[in-house]
Amino acid sequence: MTVTPFTDKPIKLLEYDGTPGPDVDSLGLSKDEFISIYRWLVYARAVDDRGYILVRQGRSGFYAQIAGQEASQIGSALPLERTDYLFGDHRSQGSMLVKGLRAAEWFAHQLGRMLDPSQGRLMPHGPGRKDLRIVPPSSTVGNQITEAVGTAMAQKIKKTKELTICYFGDGATSEGDFHVGMNFAAVYGSPIILFCQNNQYAISVKLEEQTHTKTIAEKAKAYGMEGYFVDGNDVLAVYAVTKHCADRARRGDGPALIEAYTYRYGPHSSADDDTRYRPKGELEMWRNERDPITRFRKFLEYRKLWDDAKEQKLQAECKAEVAAALEEAEKSPAPEPITVLDYAYEKLTPHLEWERKELAAELGIS
Amino acid sequence: MATAQAEKKQTTSTMVQAVRSALIDEMKLDEDVVILGEDIGIRGGVFLVTEGLIDMFGKDRVIDTPLAEMGIIGAAVGMSLYGLKPVAEIQFIDFLFPGFDMLVSEAAKMRYRSAGEFGCPMVVRSPYGGGVRGGGYHSQSPEAYFVSTPGLKVVAPSNPYDAKGLLIASIRDPDPVVFMEPKKIYRAVKNEVPEGAYVVPLGKAAVTREGKHVSLITFGAMVHVALEAAELVKKDGVEAEVVDLRSLQPYDMDAIAKTVQKTGHVVLLQEAPTIGGFMGEIAAHIAEHHVGYLEGPVVRVGGWDTPFPYALEKAYMPNAERVKRAIQKTLNF
Repeated sequence: MTVTPFTDKPIKLLEYDGTPGPDVDSLGLSKDEFISIYRWLVYARAVDDRGYILVRQGRSGFYAQIAGQEASQIGSALPLERTDYLFGDHRSQGSMLVKGLRAAEWFAHQLGRMLDPSQGRLMPHGPGRKDLRIVPPSSTVGNQITEAVGTAMAQKIKKTKELTICYFGDGATSEGDFHVGMNFAAVYGSPIILFCQNNQYAISVKLEEQTHTKTIAEKAKAYGMEGYFVDGNDVLAVYAVTKHCADRARRGDGPALIEAYTYRYGPHSSADDDTRYRPKGELEMWRNERDPITRFRKFLEYRKLWDDAKEQKLQAECKAEVAAALEEAEKSPAPEPITVLDYAYEKLTPHLEWERKELAAELGIS
Repeated sequence: MATAQAEKKQTTSTMVQAVRSALIDEMKLDEDVVILGEDIGIRGGVFLVTEGLIDMFGKDRVIDTPLAEMGIIGAAVGMSLYGLKPVAEIQFIDFLFPGFDMLVSEAAKMRYRSAGEFGCPMVVRSPYGGGVRGGGYHSQSPEAYFVSTPGLKVVAPSNPYDAKGLLIASIRDPDPVVFMEPKKIYRAVKNEVPEGAYVVPLGKAAVTREGKHVSLITFGAMVHVALEAAELVKKDGVEAEVVDLRSLQPYDMDAIAKTVQKTGHVVLLQEAPTIGGFMGEIAAHIAEHHVGYLEGPVVRVGGWDTPFPYALEKAYMPNAERVKRAIQKTLNF
């Protein structure tokens, strides 16, 4: 299929009722691959649902749900290779799971256990894993953008065929980081996909109060970069556009901006009250008419690849996997208090050595 | 000159030449070392520290950047995550602040937040300090911000030999280093600098002048003001010891202990405003650990607690006379 930049309407391959458009078969995806995509969508939501329950049970701190944005996250992470770098934000767990992060590690991250790759050092919005090339995000909106561009610059300097994908939200496009990062990426022709999940709200501020452009994708023009506007609730469209940009990057054709137009079902985070700012009926409309998982399931049914029995089996499998992952996370020990001093530097500085003695005395250990 | 002839591999160098020599030697040894910044390519940097490097190492390793400090430091973070060892130049440290967030939120915290999986082996080098008629935006000494950010190391050399060895040590260090170059003495102070790579270890101070009556603890360009003050008080029979910290984070606690225990009198000297300054930390450290050795107050000499001025620079910056009065204050207690 031809993937066109700067469209007025989001690129989509599936109708809301799951009816496939003419380009679906040009993706070259097999039946098994379609089913595998569906499995990722369902699994990501199951993990997310369970993660949010942990917050409501008082067992986890801050949590930003991905519900509603699964197609954007799964569809954009599937074209990545193991050697590609992923920079996420506070709402990237779906992409991280596809890249290889285990649900048990995610739950351990929420619970602050040793199985958490950050060993309890980061508020639960995304751990990293070096072997998977997932960089742990900070909470400062947009910081990952110039950082990710630097990694992509390095990939080009080292003449690799790798690329970097960087996730951020619509709010982040108002930060200087976005504009500086876009400019650097374009100037150096870096192999990077700048992936904006436009869920239309930055906490409470609506997109039209965030920016005066009609789309976010069109901002790419100002940097001499291609910008793609895609239906973020259509997993095949997100996959197709991301794959296109990944192929371009690997060919040496440089960076691209993707705007995935989507919607979050939950509040910004567990500390937010979204009833204060959403117009009545908006959430219900997206949930009932545009849900990315239902939409893809209807496509599978249209293609006779899916039925109720398969659905029940998959739901049960995901539920069991999530339960097992949570159990594994719960079994993981909490970090020892003395480890609070570790990893500020590669080795304890002399002053930290002294502080370690102070803390050890406080803890009654040697 | 006799020394330079006897030791063939030594060259009398300015700090600019020494820093340049460190970059060249380390880039020859390690192809993962890249440098980036504004005007560092064909222009060779506004102070000519990187003169000619683009011809030696090419555009992939000597990277002229768009004018955005946030991008320079952000890109350096990303490169270091990938395994390169970027050395970013910020044209004046006063202009680092658009990139401050990338330094303190990203470079400084990456190792901690990944429990040691990722690190940022990178250097941000930048000219700092007053005395060049630079006014409020080409003269500041903002070390306190960086020193109080766990995860960063902070280094400030006082002479060409140390500058080269400390910069090479900083490039090889696994943690991010803010490398502050005292621009007032970029060309004014010369000493012998060996050819080829060598290391001056981070975290180790140097006793620049021995003395037994009072300790002048400082770093960077102020080392030379301290030496001048030591000469002034010598006429009164006061033997001042000058300790050049060289590294501010981590700082050399042993060297501080040694000199304080030796003299019992301490003057702390920095260019930055005194309130919340780095020397406040040293004063507190001495008060906490060595109070029994003190025979007078710990006296700080710094810039006044104002923004850095232009025409009134002389009235602002610490000088030998001011240090002398501080010495008298602690000795006559």
